[in-house]
Amino acid sequence: MNTDPDRSGQAGALTVLTPIKPGAVDDLRGYLEGLRATGSPLARLSRTHFGRWVIVTDFASDGEREPDRLASPYLLFTACFDGTLDSYLDELCEELSAEAPAIWGRCTGVPQPPVGAALKAYLRAHHATTGFFVAAYPEAEVGQVRHALAQREAVIAFARSAQGMDPAQLRAAFLDQLGG
Amino acid sequence: MAIAEGPSAGPLTATGTDPRNVDGQAICITVFSTVKGWGRLWLPLVFLYARLVPSAHGTLARLSFIHFARWTLVRRLPEQRLRHPHLFFESNFNGGWEEYIDAFSHILTRGMTLFWGSSYGFPTPLPTGRFKDYIKRHEIVASHFYSAYPDATTTIVLSALELDAKLRDFRARTEGMDPDGFARAWDEFVTDVQGCL
Repeated sequence: MNTDPDRSGQAGALTVLTPIKPGAVDDLRGYLEGLRATGSPLARLSRTHFGRWVIVTDFASDGEREPDRLASPYLLFTACFDGTLDSYLDELCEELSAEAPAIWGRCTGVPQPPVGAALKAYLRAHHATTGFFVAAYPEAEVGQVRHALAQREAVIAFARSAQGMDPAQLRAAFLDQLGG
Repeated sequence: MAIAEGPSAGPLTATGTDPRNVDGQAICITVFSTVKGWGRLWLPLVFLYARLVPSAHGTLARLSFIHFARWTLVRRLPEQRLRHPHLFFESNFNGGWEEYIDAFSHILTRGMTLFWGSSYGFPTPLPTGRFKDYIKRHEIVASHFYSAYPDATTTIVLSALELDAKLRDFRARTEGMDPDGFARAWDEFVTDVQGCL
Protein backbone atom coordinates (compact mmCIF):
# COMPACT_ATOMS: atom_id res chain seq x y z
CA MET A 1 0.00 0.00 0.00
CA ASN A 2 1.41 3.36 -1.02
CA THR A 3 0.29 6.40 0.98
CA ASP A 4 2.84 8.91 -0.32
CA PRO A 5 1.64 10.18 -3.71
CA ASP A 6 5.15 11.23 -4.73
CA ARG A 7 6.55 7.72 -4.27
CA SER A 8 6.36 4.31 -5.85
CA GLY A 9 8.52 1.95 -3.81
CA GLN A 10 11.84 3.65 -3.25
CA ALA A 11 11.40 5.78 -6.39
CA GLY A 12 10.32 9.40 -6.12
CA ALA A 13 8.53 11.75 -8.50
CA LEU A 14 9.48 15.41 -8.65
CA THR A 15 7.30 17.93 -10.49
CA VAL A 16 8.21 21.64 -10.50
CA LEU A 17 6.37 24.41 -12.37
CA THR A 18 7.98 27.87 -12.46
CA PRO A 19 6.89 30.99 -14.38
CA ILE A 20 9.35 32.16 -17.03
CA LYS A 21 10.41 35.81 -17.06
CA PRO A 22 8.86 37.95 -19.80
CA GLY A 23 10.92 37.77 -22.99
CA ALA A 24 13.11 34.92 -21.76
CA VAL A 25 11.29 31.95 -23.27
CA ASP A 26 13.11 31.81 -26.61
CA ASP A 27 16.57 31.94 -25.02
CA LEU A 28 15.53 29.34 -22.46
CA ARG A 29 14.16 27.04 -25.13
CA GLY A 30 17.32 27.42 -27.18
CA TYR A 31 19.48 26.68 -24.15
CA LEU A 32 17.52 23.59 -23.15
CA GLU A 33 17.41 22.22 -26.68
CA GLY A 34 21.16 22.72 -26.96
CA LEU A 35 21.93 20.66 -23.86
CA ARG A 36 21.84 17.39 -25.75
CA ALA A 37 24.80 18.38 -27.94
CA THR A 38 27.16 18.32 -24.97
CA GLY A 39 25.45 15.55 -23.04
CA SER A 40 22.61 15.92 -20.59
CA PRO A 41 23.55 17.58 -17.29
CA LEU A 42 21.04 15.21 -15.69
CA ALA A 43 23.57 12.43 -16.31
CA ARG A 44 25.58 13.95 -13.44
CA LEU A 45 22.66 13.23 -11.12
CA SER A 46 23.37 9.55 -10.59
CA ARG A 47 19.98 8.96 -8.94
CA THR A 48 17.95 10.19 -11.93
CA HIS A 49 16.18 7.50 -13.97
CA PHE A 50 14.36 9.96 -16.25
CA GLY A 51 14.10 13.74 -16.39
CA ARG A 52 12.72 16.43 -18.64
CA TRP A 53 12.30 20.15 -19.09
CA VAL A 54 9.17 21.23 -20.94
CA ILE A 55 8.08 24.77 -21.77
CA VAL A 56 4.34 25.23 -21.37
CA THR A 57 3.54 28.23 -23.51
CA ASP A 58 -0.22 28.41 -23.07
CA PHE A 59 -3.45 26.56 -22.62
CA ALA A 60 -5.88 26.37 -25.49
CA SER A 61 -9.58 26.02 -24.92
CA ASP A 62 -11.41 22.75 -25.40
CA GLY A 63 -14.99 23.83 -25.06
CA GLU A 64 -14.84 25.18 -21.54
CA ARG A 65 -16.23 28.53 -20.59
CA GLU A 66 -13.61 31.11 -19.72
CA PRO A 67 -10.55 29.01 -20.61
CA ASP A 68 -7.37 29.62 -18.68
CA ARG A 69 -4.76 31.68 -20.50
CA LEU A 70 -1.26 31.74 -19.13
CA ALA A 71 0.02 35.23 -18.42
CA SER A 72 3.52 33.90 -19.01
CA PRO A 73 4.98 30.61 -20.18
CA TYR A 74 5.90 28.09 -17.48
CA LEU A 75 8.91 25.83 -17.17
CA LEU A 76 8.03 22.28 -16.17
CA PHE A 77 10.79 20.15 -14.72
CA THR A 78 10.14 16.53 -13.75
CA ALA A 79 12.35 13.72 -12.58
CA CYS A 80 11.99 10.08 -11.54
CA PHE A 81 14.70 9.57 -8.95
CA ASP A 82 15.99 7.30 -6.18
CA GLY A 83 15.71 8.04 -2.48
CA THR A 84 14.38 11.05 -0.63
CA LEU A 85 13.32 14.31 -2.24
CA ASP A 86 15.31 16.38 0.22
CA SER A 87 18.64 14.72 -0.55
CA TYR A 88 17.84 14.63 -4.28
CA LEU A 89 17.26 18.37 -4.33
CA ASP A 90 20.57 18.88 -2.50
CA GLU A 91 22.31 16.85 -5.17
CA LEU A 92 20.47 18.61 -7.98
CA CYS A 93 21.35 22.09 -6.70
CA GLU A 94 24.97 21.06 -6.26
CA GLU A 95 25.45 19.21 -9.55
CA LEU A 96 23.52 21.64 -11.75
CA SER A 97 25.09 24.79 -10.31
CA ALA A 98 26.65 25.57 -13.70
CA GLU A 99 23.38 25.21 -15.63
CA ALA A 100 20.85 26.49 -13.08
CA PRO A 101 21.43 30.22 -13.76
CA ALA A 102 20.67 29.66 -17.46
CA ILE A 103 17.60 27.55 -16.64
CA TRP A 104 15.81 28.61 -13.46
CA GLY A 105 17.68 31.94 -13.57
CA ARG A 106 15.27 32.79 -16.41
CA CYS A 107 12.27 32.21 -14.15
CA THR A 108 10.35 34.77 -12.11
CA GLY A 109 11.06 35.09 -8.42
CA VAL A 110 14.19 32.95 -8.45
CA PRO A 111 16.84 33.92 -5.89
CA GLN A 112 20.09 35.37 -7.18
CA PRO A 113 22.32 33.57 -7.70
CA PRO A 114 20.02 30.58 -8.31
CA VAL A 115 22.21 27.99 -6.62
CA GLY A 116 22.51 26.00 -3.43
CA ALA A 117 20.05 26.28 -0.56
CA ALA A 118 18.27 29.28 -2.11
CA LEU A 119 17.54 27.35 -5.33
CA LYS A 120 16.45 24.32 -3.32
CA ALA A 121 13.94 26.43 -1.41
CA TYR A 122 12.66 27.91 -4.69
CA LEU A 123 12.18 24.49 -6.27
CA ARG A 124 10.47 23.18 -3.14
CA ALA A 125 8.11 26.15 -3.11
CA HIS A 126 7.09 25.41 -6.73
CA HIS A 127 6.80 21.65 -6.30
CA ALA A 128 3.46 20.11 -7.33
CA THR A 129 2.45 16.98 -5.46
CA THR A 130 1.77 13.96 -7.66
CA GLY A 131 -1.66 12.33 -7.68
CA PHE A 132 -0.62 8.86 -8.82
CA PHE A 133 2.90 7.70 -9.64
CA VAL A 134 3.57 4.24 -11.05
CA ALA A 135 6.89 2.51 -11.73
CA ALA A 136 7.60 -0.78 -13.51
CA TYR A 137 10.55 -1.53 -11.17
CA PRO A 138 9.93 0.64 -8.11
CA GLU A 139 12.59 -0.92 -5.89
CA ALA A 140 15.47 -0.77 -8.37
CA GLU A 141 17.87 2.16 -8.14
CA VAL A 142 19.65 3.54 -11.21
CA GLY A 143 22.92 1.86 -10.23
CA GLN A 144 21.18 -1.49 -9.81
CA VAL A 145 19.47 -1.17 -13.18
CA ARG A 146 22.71 -0.31 -14.96
CA HIS A 147 24.56 -3.13 -13.20
CA ALA A 148 21.82 -5.62 -14.09
CA LEU A 149 21.82 -4.51 -17.73
CA ALA A 150 25.61 -4.84 -18.03
CA GLN A 151 25.52 -8.20 -16.28
CA ARG A 152 22.79 -9.46 -18.60
CA GLU A 153 25.03 -8.69 -21.57
CA ALA A 154 27.89 -10.49 -19.85
CA VAL A 155 25.71 -13.57 -19.17
CA ILE A 156 24.58 -13.68 -22.81
CA ALA A 157 28.17 -13.46 -24.02
CA PHE A 158 29.30 -16.09 -21.53
CA ALA A 159 26.48 -18.49 -22.40
CA ARG A 160 27.52 -18.31 -26.05
CA SER A 161 31.20 -18.76 -25.34
CA ALA A 162 30.62 -21.58 -22.83
CA GLN A 163 29.08 -23.92 -25.36
CA GLY A 164 31.43 -26.85 -25.88
CA MET A 165 33.49 -26.26 -22.74
CA ASP A 166 34.15 -29.26 -20.53
CA PRO A 167 32.86 -29.04 -16.92
CA ALA A 168 36.19 -27.96 -15.43
CA GLN A 169 36.69 -25.27 -18.06
CA LEU A 170 33.10 -24.09 -17.64
CA ARG A 171 33.36 -23.72 -13.89
CA ALA A 172 36.73 -21.92 -14.09
CA ALA A 173 35.48 -19.57 -16.82
CA PHE A 174 32.30 -18.80 -14.88
CA LEU A 175 34.19 -17.96 -11.72
CA ASP A 176 36.54 -15.77 -13.75
CA GLN A 177 33.88 -13.89 -15.74
CA LEU A 178 30.67 -14.03 -13.69
CA GLY A 179 31.89 -15.04 -10.26
CA GLY A 180 30.49 -11.87 -8.76
CA MET B 1 -7.93 22.36 -23.07
CA ALA B 2 -5.06 21.96 -25.44
CA ILE B 3 -1.62 23.38 -24.96
CA ALA B 4 -0.36 25.57 -27.76
CA GLU B 5 2.58 23.88 -29.42
CA GLY B 6 5.96 25.43 -28.85
CA PRO B 7 7.29 27.39 -31.80
CA SER B 8 10.07 24.93 -32.57
CA ALA B 9 8.16 21.69 -33.06
CA GLY B 10 10.30 19.39 -35.17
CA PRO B 11 9.63 16.55 -37.57
CA LEU B 12 8.26 13.28 -36.30
CA THR B 13 10.66 10.38 -35.97
CA ALA B 14 10.06 6.73 -36.80
CA THR B 15 8.71 6.42 -33.27
CA GLY B 16 5.86 8.73 -34.23
CA THR B 17 6.93 11.56 -31.97
CA ASP B 18 9.16 14.62 -32.11
CA PRO B 19 12.90 13.75 -31.83
CA ARG B 20 13.15 15.97 -28.76
CA ASN B 21 10.83 13.52 -26.97
CA VAL B 22 13.28 10.68 -27.62
CA ASP B 23 16.46 9.51 -25.90
CA GLY B 24 17.63 6.22 -27.38
CA GLN B 25 14.80 3.72 -26.96
CA ALA B 26 13.07 5.95 -24.40
CA ILE B 27 10.21 8.25 -25.33
CA CYS B 28 8.50 10.84 -23.19
CA ILE B 29 4.97 12.10 -23.42
CA THR B 30 3.71 15.24 -21.63
CA VAL B 31 0.01 16.04 -21.67
CA PHE B 32 -2.09 18.71 -19.95
CA SER B 33 -5.89 18.76 -20.04
CA THR B 34 -8.43 21.11 -18.44
CA VAL B 35 -10.57 19.48 -15.78
CA LYS B 36 -14.25 20.15 -15.22
CA GLY B 37 -15.40 21.38 -11.83
CA TRP B 38 -16.45 17.96 -10.56
CA GLY B 39 -13.01 16.57 -11.38
CA ARG B 40 -11.62 18.69 -8.54
CA LEU B 41 -13.23 16.20 -6.16
CA TRP B 42 -13.31 13.13 -8.41
CA LEU B 43 -9.65 12.91 -9.40
CA PRO B 44 -8.23 12.89 -5.86
CA LEU B 45 -10.51 9.92 -5.17
CA VAL B 46 -9.30 8.16 -8.32
CA PHE B 47 -5.69 8.80 -7.33
CA LEU B 48 -6.32 7.52 -3.82
CA TYR B 49 -7.96 4.38 -5.15
CA ALA B 50 -5.09 3.81 -7.58
CA ARG B 51 -2.52 4.21 -4.81
CA LEU B 52 -4.23 2.07 -2.21
CA VAL B 53 -5.61 -0.79 -4.31
CA PRO B 54 -2.75 -2.91 -5.66
CA SER B 55 -4.89 -4.43 -8.41
CA ALA B 56 -5.11 -0.98 -9.95
CA HIS B 57 -1.39 -1.30 -10.69
CA GLY B 58 -1.87 -4.70 -12.27
CA THR B 59 -3.50 -3.42 -15.39
CA LEU B 60 -0.85 -0.76 -15.80
CA ALA B 61 1.81 -3.42 -15.35
CA ARG B 62 0.37 -5.19 -18.39
CA LEU B 63 1.58 -2.22 -20.39
CA SER B 64 5.06 -3.68 -20.41
CA PHE B 65 6.62 -0.70 -22.15
CA ILE B 66 6.11 1.90 -19.41
CA HIS B 67 9.10 2.65 -17.17
CA PHE B 68 7.42 5.37 -15.07
CA ALA B 69 4.17 7.34 -15.41
CA ARG B 70 2.39 9.94 -13.29
CA TRP B 71 -0.81 11.95 -13.08
CA THR B 72 -0.95 15.23 -11.17
CA LEU B 73 -3.85 17.58 -10.58
CA VAL B 74 -2.58 21.17 -10.89
CA ARG B 75 -4.96 23.40 -8.96
CA ARG B 76 -2.83 26.51 -8.74
CA LEU B 77 0.18 28.05 -10.38
CA PRO B 78 2.49 30.69 -8.94
CA GLU B 79 1.62 34.15 -10.29
CA GLN B 80 -1.40 32.84 -12.16
CA ARG B 81 -5.02 32.54 -11.16
CA LEU B 82 -6.54 29.38 -12.59
CA ARG B 83 -10.27 29.13 -13.21
CA HIS B 84 -9.98 25.40 -13.82
CA PRO B 85 -7.80 22.64 -12.41
CA HIS B 86 -5.52 21.00 -14.98
CA LEU B 87 -4.52 17.36 -15.24
CA PHE B 88 -0.85 16.81 -15.98
CA PHE B 89 0.17 13.39 -17.30
CA GLU B 90 3.63 12.19 -18.17
CA SER B 91 5.01 8.86 -19.22
CA ASN B 92 8.46 7.46 -19.90
CA PHE B 93 8.12 4.49 -22.21
CA ASN B 94 9.60 2.66 -25.19
CA GLY B 95 8.23 1.61 -28.54
CA GLY B 96 6.16 3.79 -30.81
CA TRP B 97 3.80 6.65 -29.98
CA GLU B 98 0.93 5.16 -31.96
CA GLU B 99 1.34 1.73 -30.38
CA TYR B 100 1.52 3.32 -26.95
CA ILE B 101 -1.78 5.13 -27.35
CA ASP B 102 -3.36 2.05 -28.95
CA ALA B 103 -2.35 -0.12 -26.00
CA PHE B 104 -3.51 2.48 -23.51
CA SER B 105 -6.89 2.63 -25.21
CA HIS B 106 -7.43 -1.11 -25.56
CA ILE B 107 -6.00 -2.35 -22.26
CA LEU B 108 -6.78 0.59 -19.97
CA THR B 109 -10.15 1.52 -21.45
CA ARG B 110 -11.86 1.85 -18.08
CA GLY B 111 -8.87 3.38 -16.34
CA MET B 112 -8.49 6.00 -19.05
CA THR B 113 -12.06 7.05 -18.55
CA LEU B 114 -11.52 7.26 -14.78
CA PHE B 115 -8.46 9.47 -15.20
CA TRP B 116 -9.52 11.64 -18.15
CA GLY B 117 -13.30 11.44 -18.06
CA SER B 118 -13.49 14.72 -16.14
CA SER B 119 -11.38 16.57 -18.72
CA TYR B 120 -13.03 18.88 -21.22
CA GLY B 121 -13.12 17.47 -24.75
CA PHE B 122 -12.10 13.95 -23.74
CA PRO B 123 -13.50 11.41 -26.23
CA THR B 124 -13.98 7.79 -25.28
CA PRO B 125 -10.73 5.78 -25.46
CA LEU B 126 -12.21 3.69 -28.27
CA PRO B 127 -12.08 4.03 -31.18
CA THR B 128 -8.47 5.11 -30.86
CA GLY B 129 -8.46 7.58 -33.75
CA ARG B 130 -10.32 10.32 -31.88
CA PHE B 131 -8.36 9.66 -28.73
CA LYS B 132 -5.05 9.99 -30.58
CA ASP B 133 -6.20 13.31 -32.01
CA TYR B 134 -7.10 14.44 -28.51
CA ILE B 135 -3.68 13.51 -27.09
CA LYS B 136 -1.89 15.15 -30.01
CA ARG B 137 -3.76 18.39 -29.41
CA HIS B 138 -2.88 18.30 -25.72
CA GLU B 139 0.70 17.07 -25.89
CA ILE B 140 3.69 19.36 -25.40
CA VAL B 141 7.08 18.58 -26.87
CA ALA B 142 9.94 18.42 -24.35
CA SER B 143 12.82 20.84 -24.71
CA HIS B 144 15.13 18.31 -23.11
CA PHE B 145 14.57 14.67 -22.20
CA TYR B 146 17.01 12.36 -20.45
CA SER B 147 17.11 8.64 -19.74
CA ALA B 148 19.79 7.07 -17.52
CA TYR B 149 19.71 3.87 -19.60
CA PRO B 150 18.49 4.98 -23.01
CA ASP B 151 19.21 1.74 -24.85
CA ALA B 152 17.10 -0.45 -22.56
CA THR B 153 13.42 -1.16 -23.00
CA THR B 154 11.24 -1.72 -19.95
CA THR B 155 11.09 -5.43 -20.73
CA ILE B 156 14.88 -5.68 -20.90
CA VAL B 157 15.26 -3.81 -17.59
CA LEU B 158 12.80 -6.17 -15.90
CA SER B 159 14.53 -9.20 -17.46
CA ALA B 160 17.93 -7.95 -16.34
CA LEU B 161 16.73 -7.42 -12.77
CA GLU B 162 15.16 -10.90 -12.68
CA LEU B 163 18.34 -12.42 -14.09
CA ASP B 164 20.42 -10.57 -11.49
CA ALA B 165 18.45 -12.14 -8.65
CA LYS B 166 18.65 -15.60 -10.18
CA LEU B 167 22.36 -15.29 -10.87
CA ARG B 168 23.02 -14.36 -7.24
CA ASP B 169 21.08 -17.43 -6.19
CA PHE B 170 22.98 -19.59 -8.69
CA ARG B 171 26.32 -18.36 -7.37
CA ALA B 172 25.31 -19.19 -3.80
CA ARG B 173 23.99 -22.62 -4.75
CA THR B 174 27.03 -23.65 -6.77
CA GLU B 175 29.75 -22.36 -4.48
CA GLY B 176 32.25 -25.16 -3.89
CA MET B 177 30.40 -27.52 -6.24
CA ASP B 178 32.46 -30.04 -8.22
CA PRO B 179 32.80 -29.39 -11.99
CA ASP B 180 30.31 -32.04 -13.11
CA GLY B 181 27.67 -30.86 -10.66
CA PHE B 182 28.36 -27.26 -11.68
CA ALA B 183 27.94 -28.10 -15.37
CA ARG B 184 24.54 -29.70 -14.69
CA ALA B 185 23.47 -26.74 -12.56
CA TRP B 186 24.58 -24.34 -15.31
CA ASP B 187 22.51 -26.13 -17.92
CA GLU B 188 19.47 -25.94 -15.63
CA PHE B 189 20.19 -22.28 -14.93
CA VAL B 190 20.40 -21.38 -18.62
CA THR B 191 17.11 -23.15 -19.25
CA ASP B 192 15.51 -21.34 -16.32
CA VAL B 193 16.65 -17.85 -17.36
CA GLN B 194 16.10 -18.33 -21.09
CA GLY B 195 13.30 -15.77 -21.02
CA CYS B 196 15.60 -13.15 -19.47
CA LEU B 197 18.26 -13.38 -22.19
